Amino acid sequence: MNPLFSQFLLEGRELLQTISEKLLALEKEPESQELITELFRAVHTLKGTSGLFEIPEMTNVLHSSEDLMDAVRDGRLAYSQELADRLLDAMDFVSLLFDILETGEGPDPNQIELAKELSSSLRDLIPVTDLQSGETDSQGEARDIKLPALSDLPEDVRLRALSEAGTGGVNLIVYSPDEGCFFKGEDPFYQALNIPGLLWGRVVPRTTWPPLSDLDCYRCMIDFQALSKAPRGEVLEYFRYVPNEVAIMTLSPTAQSSTADRQDERPTYATKDTGFQRDKAYETIAVQAEVLNQPEDVAYLSGRLQSVAKALSNCLSALGQDPEGLNEALAQALQGQSSQPLRDWLSAYCEQRGIELKPAKTTAPEPVLAPPTSTDTTQAPADRRPETPTTKVLKVDQAKVDRLMNLIGELVVAKNALPYLASRAENQYGVRELSREIKAQYAVINRIADEMQDAIMQVRMMPVSLVFQRFQRLVRDLSRKLNKDVELIIEGEETEADKNIIEALADPLIHIIRNSLDHGLEDRQQRQEAGKSPTGRLMISARQESDHLVIEVSDDGKGIDPAVIKQKAYERGLLTEERIDKISDREALNLIFAPGFSTAEAVTDLSGRGVGMDVVRSTIDRLGGTVHIHSEVNRGTRIRLTLPLSMAVSNVMIIESDHQIFGVPMELVVETVRVPRRAIHSIKKRQTTVMRGRVVPLIALNTLLDIPAAPIANDEDELATLVVRIGNEPVGILVDNFRETVDVILKPMPGDLGRLSFYAGTALLGDGSVLMVLNLKELFRWQFNTKD
Amino acid sequence: MAIQYKGLTAALIDIVAVEEAEGLLQWLLTNPDGAVDLSGCKHLHAAVLQVLMAGQPKVNAWPEDEGLAVWLKEAIKTR
Repeated sequence: MNPLFSQFLLEGRELLQTISEKLLALEKEPESQELITELFRAVHTLKGTSGLFEIPEMTNVLHSSEDLMDAVRDGRLAYSQELADRLLDAMDFVSLLFDILETGEGPDPNQIELAKELSSSLRDLIPVTDLQSGETDSQGEARDIKLPALSDLPEDVRLRALSEAGTGGVNLIVYSPDEGCFFKGEDPFYQALNIPGLLWGRVVPRTTWPPLSDLDCYRCMIDFQALSKAPRGEVLEYFRYVPNEVAIMTLSPTAQSSTADRQDERPTYATKDTGFQRDKAYETIAVQAEVLNQPEDVAYLSGRLQSVAKALSNCLSALGQDPEGLNEALAQALQGQSSQPLRDWLSAYCEQRGIELKPAKTTAPEPVLAPPTSTDTTQAPADRRPETPTTKVLKVDQAKVDRLMNLIGELVVAKNALPYLASRAENQYGVRELSREIKAQYAVINRIADEMQDAIMQVRMMPVSLVFQRFQRLVRDLSRKLNKDVELIIEGEETEADKNIIEALADPLIHIIRNSLDHGLEDRQQRQEAGKSPTGRLMISARQESDHLVIEVSDDGKGIDPAVIKQKAYERGLLTEERIDKISDREALNLIFAPGFSTAEAVTDLSGRGVGMDVVRSTIDRLGGTVHIHSEVNRGTRIRLTLPLSMAVSNVMIIESDHQIFGVPMELVVETVRVPRRAIHSIKKRQTTVMRGRVVPLIALNTLLDIPAAPIANDEDELATLVVRIGNEPVGILVDNFRETVDVILKPMPGDLGRLSFYAGTALLGDGSVLMVLNLKELFRWQFNTKD
Repeated sequence: MAIQYKGLTAALIDIVAVEEAEGLLQWLLTNPDGAVDLSGCKHLHAAVLQVLMAGQPKVNAWPEDEGLAVWLKEAIKTR
C-alpha cells in the first residue's frame, strides 16, 4: 500500500470521526452555525482527498453530503433528525468503504448501488429549486432514467434478449449521459460501445431534435440503450464513475439482484405481475430443496416429505408445469424414510428443464436464492458492515508522547543520582556493602531506563520518506520551469529519525534542491557541450550512521567554482581583499552558507535572492547537526547533512573553568588533550599550537565568556585543551579541567534567559546541580564577528 | 484532419474527435444536401454522432467496422 494511501486511510477515519461527532453535537444545538460550518469543512476535505484515489463511490456520496450540508449552511434547508440520520448513514457507508479499502479488495457491485441510493436519498432532501437553478454541478445528481418498455425494442432484439436470458440473464441498460458530459472529456458513445458483454445497442435522441440551426452540439442530447449479458455487477462497475446516469434492469424471471444472476431459470420474460408470482414459486421450490437437505433423523420425516412433495406439486402447477414422476419419488422416499429420492427427482427435474437449482448437498445447505440486496433501504448500511477490522495504528496526541518522553528523561537524570549516593555511602558513612548494593540496583535501573528511552524514541521515529515524498513533485515542477531534464533518485527513504528532526528537515532540503536545480544542473545544451548525458542526475539519499542521520543531496552539475565564490563574496563585502588569496578552496565553498550570499547572475523566482543556504546552515545548527559541502567544477556538488537521530537526550561533556562547570555538546568535541605551555605559540596576537602537523588556533574559554581569569595549568604546566570542530575547522579551547560526560535532558533557558544565545540550554545533574550547556557555535560567531 | 470536406461530401476518417462536431454542424447547415462518407471512420465522438442524428444527412458509405455500422445505421436513418 503506498504511503499516501495509508495516510489517507488514517486521516480519513479521523475526519469521519470528527464528522460523526459534529453531527451528534449538532443534534443538541441544531442552530449552531459554527458546528455546521465545521461539519461542512470536514466533509469537504474528506471528499477532496477521496478524489485523489479511485473510489468514485465514496466521492459521490460525500459530494451529495457536501451539497446537503451546503444547503443547511446557507439556510436553504433546516437541520432535521432525518437529515442527520441520512448523513450518519452516509458516513457509515464511507466507513464501510474504508474497511474494504483497507483489505485491499476491489469495488463490490453492491457498494456501487448502495452509493447511488445513498447519494440520491441525500439529494432528495435538498430543496428542488436548488437543483434546477443549474448552479450545482450535476455530478452525482440523482436523475430519473426511464427504462424503455420491452415492447419498444425491435422484435428481433427482444427475441434475442429472451433467448439469452434463458442461458444466463440479460441486463437492459439505459445510459443517459449528463448534458454537460462532453465538457468533462467523456465520450458516451465510446463508453456505450464498450459495455461489457454487449449484445445489442442503439442510440436514441432524448427529445425530438430541434431545427439544426438551434442545435447545441456540445450539449449531450442522446441516450443509449443496450443489452448486455454481463452480470449486473460487472455493468455497474463499468459505469461506476457515472452511477446516476445509468439504469439497469435484469431481464429474467427471478433475479432481482446481481448475485442471483446465475440462477435465472426461465427463458421467458414475464410481465411484472406474473413475474412476481413466478419469483414466489421459484423461491418456494428453493426452500423445499433446502428442507430436503435438512438432517433426516427426525420423527416427523414422513410428514415433512409429504409436505415438500405437496408444495413442489403446487408450485409447478402454478408455473404451468407438469410435476411428472413426483408421486413416485415421494412413495420411494416414504418407503426408504429418506429425502434422497425426492432430492434426486428435484435435481433431475430442474436439470431437464434447464432450471438451475443448486445441487443438493449433504453439508450445510446454502440458500439457493440470494437474499434481497440493496433495494432494501430500511436496513441501515451499518448493519451490513462485516466485522470491523481493528486498526493497528494508535493515534496519540504528540503532547502525550512528549510528556512521557520528558518523564523518562527525568528518570534518566534521576538515576544518575544513585552513583553519587553510592559513593557517599562508601566515603562518608563507610558502609561499603550498602554502596555495592546501590551500585547493583543502579545497574538494573540504568538498563531499564535505557530501554525505556529507546522505546519512546521508537515511538517518535518517522521515516524520512515523509519529507522526501514531496520532492518528486518539486523536482518535476522546477525542472519543467527551468527547462532542464532532471532525473531524481531517492535512496534510503525508510531511514527513520525523530519526528522533530524529520519535520525540520523539509525547508533546508527544499532550499538545497532548488539550488541544485537552479545553479548546479545545467540545461540540455550545456550538458551536451560538457560531454555529459543530457539528463541531469539529482540524488537524495538518507542513511543512518551510528547514532546520526546522514542526508546527502548530490548532483552531477557544473559544480561550484571557488574562484567565483571568492569573487562574489568580495563583491558582497563578505570577504576582505587581503583574505581572498588566503582562504582555501574549502573555506571558500563554505562561504555560500554566509548570510546574504548569492551567486545567481539573475534573480529567479526559484533561488538567488541571497537567502537559502544560510537558512540551511542555521536550521541544521539548531537541530544540532552539521553541513558539509563538497564540490568539483564540472563534476557536481554534494551537500551532506549530519543530524542526530533524536534530540531528546544529549550527551554533553562537563568542563571546568574558573571554578565553574559548563557543558559542551559531545558532537562538537573532537578530542581532549593537554598542551604544554611551551608548545603554544603566538601568531599575530593569537595563540596557536601544532597538532599532528596542523596549526590549531587556541582560545581560552575565559576569554570567550569574558571571565577575567587566566586558564589554570596542571602541575606539569600543561593546559587542558578541548578540541572542537567549529564550521569544519578544529579549534582548541583552553579550560581548567575536564570532567566526565553525561546524558542530560537539555531544557531551553526559561523566560528572558532564552535570548542568551550563548547557551544551548540547561540540564539538571545527578547531584541536583544545574549545568549550563554552551552553544559554542554562537559563542565563536559572536567572538569573531565583533572582535575581528 | 478527421473530417475532409470535398464539395458536397464530408468524409469522416479514422477517429473523429469531439472538436469536429461544431465544424460538421456548420457544414451541414450550409450544405443541407451534403452527404457523409463514413467508410474510413473507425470511431466518432458522441457529440459528432449527435450532429449526424440531428442532421440526418445522406450517408454515401457506412463504416467498414460492422459493429460501428450497426449503431450508426440505426441512429442515422437515411433519407
